[in-house]
Amino acid sequence: MSEIPDNLGYTEDHEWVGPDEGEGVKVGITDYAQDSLSDVVFVELPNVGDEYQRGEVMAVAESVKAASDIYAPISGTILAINEKLEDSPELVNESPYGSGWMVLMKPSEDRSALLDSDSYKNSLD
Amino acid sequence: MSLSQTCLHDEHVKLGAKMVDFAGWHMPIQYNSIVSEHNAVRERVGIFDVSHMGQIFVSGKDASSFLSYVTTWDINKLSDGDCRYCHILDNEGQIIDDTIVYTFSNQDYMLVPNASMISKVLDWLNLNSSNFEVNINNKSEEFFCLAVQGPESLRLLRQYFNLSITPFKLIKSDNLIISGTGYTGEKGYEIMGPISESQIIWESFLEMGAIPIGLGARDTLRLEKGYLLSGTDFNGSQTTLESGYSWVIDWNHDFIGKERLLVQRGAEYKSLSGILLEERGVLRPGLEVYFEGEKISELTSGSLSPILKRGIGLSYIDLPIGTTVNVSIRNKQLKGRVIQTPFL
Repeated sequence: MSEIPDNLGYTEDHEWVGPDEGEGVKVGITDYAQDSLSDVVFVELPNVGDEYQRGEVMAVAESVKAASDIYAPISGTILAINEKLEDSPELVNESPYGSGWMVLMKPSEDRSALLDSDSYKNSLD
Repeated sequence: MSLSQTCLHDEHVKLGAKMVDFAGWHMPIQYNSIVSEHNAVRERVGIFDVSHMGQIFVSGKDASSFLSYVTTWDINKLSDGDCRYCHILDNEGQIIDDTIVYTFSNQDYMLVPNASMISKVLDWLNLNSSNFEVNINNKSEEFFCLAVQGPESLRLLRQYFNLSITPFKLIKSDNLIISGTGYTGEKGYEIMGPISESQIIWESFLEMGAIPIGLGARDTLRLEKGYLLSGTDFNGSQTTLESGYSWVIDWNHDFIGKERLLVQRGAEYKSLSGILLEERGVLRPGLEVYFEGEKISELTSGSLSPILKRGIGLSYIDLPIGTTVNVSIRNKQLKGRVIQTPFL
């Protein structure tokens, strides 16, 4: 059973967006996504300062068998990336909502396009 | 077309394996995680259901001269109990399939072709058998095959069968064939026999501590050792010389494809070479390889070595060991180096 925390926003493509903490919002992939990928062995992250429109490919997570695009779940600018993933991509599997976060974004739109945890959960059924 | 299932299909499903279509077979790609399964084989012991592989029996007065004619090895030179890896070539010297020839006696052999090539190999053998007194008998559907691989594999063989095995030798035990062969580069063996006996052996080896291994780790394990994957590293248009496996050719005998190989031997040709990525990334089949700005080839195989934690791949190129090349990944040119396989 996938873990789906209540306080995050989601997309049907299995990205999550953290609560606004003043410094921007963290973005990562869901527990369901990391479990489907299995063994994340490489994560390609964007550059700080890059701007993305919602739905654009922003990063790539590679497992042994396949590469999966990760889409910007919200439009905005990359403020920071999780540099730990360079040496430890397995953090995405071990802690998808914690130390396996991918980027910190400054959103340029509100969160209305995101799913809440119940809607995301329903999209998995 | 519905997918074929091995005799152990339901066991894989019961263990929660992720199942995929592989060469027309519904096979487990992973039970848990490819990386942990890979490491289990390198460090301890794993068991693979490879019952999709073929078993073609060749017997009769001319069996050894026939098999010498249709493979790159002089099978006449094998002794009872020998297993020999070699290639089956077409008239142009191109690899139809790679196989292991099992020697029961000089009139009784078994070939183990790849699952997707069984009918092609069978047709080719029949087509070329007219001048030989041989019986060719495809028993692929009657046999299971389990590979047990890893440093602890021999302990399990002693524990269960009270037997030991030498690399590239076979022993018969009741109606089972056990051979010191595998596709991982680790110590290990393969057990073949009538499918009615597969389940008890599978369950017993799991109970003794063997970890079930899917096709995902099978691929990374073989790629680290530079072993060829049929249909991927050769697909009907590459010769044995080009594949880098000239050591499977015994030049002192006549075989189908030899003339073409003799011509090629004196010329320059591209050969399958290892590429080790020097930057972070994962190599994939089909990625383009560049040298001095020009595209020279594509990768046939590619993955990430779970042991080296580096991208590794194979490609047909004509460049010396140590040459720096680039591999194009998502429009980025990443630096790689041509290396002599095995990677590990």
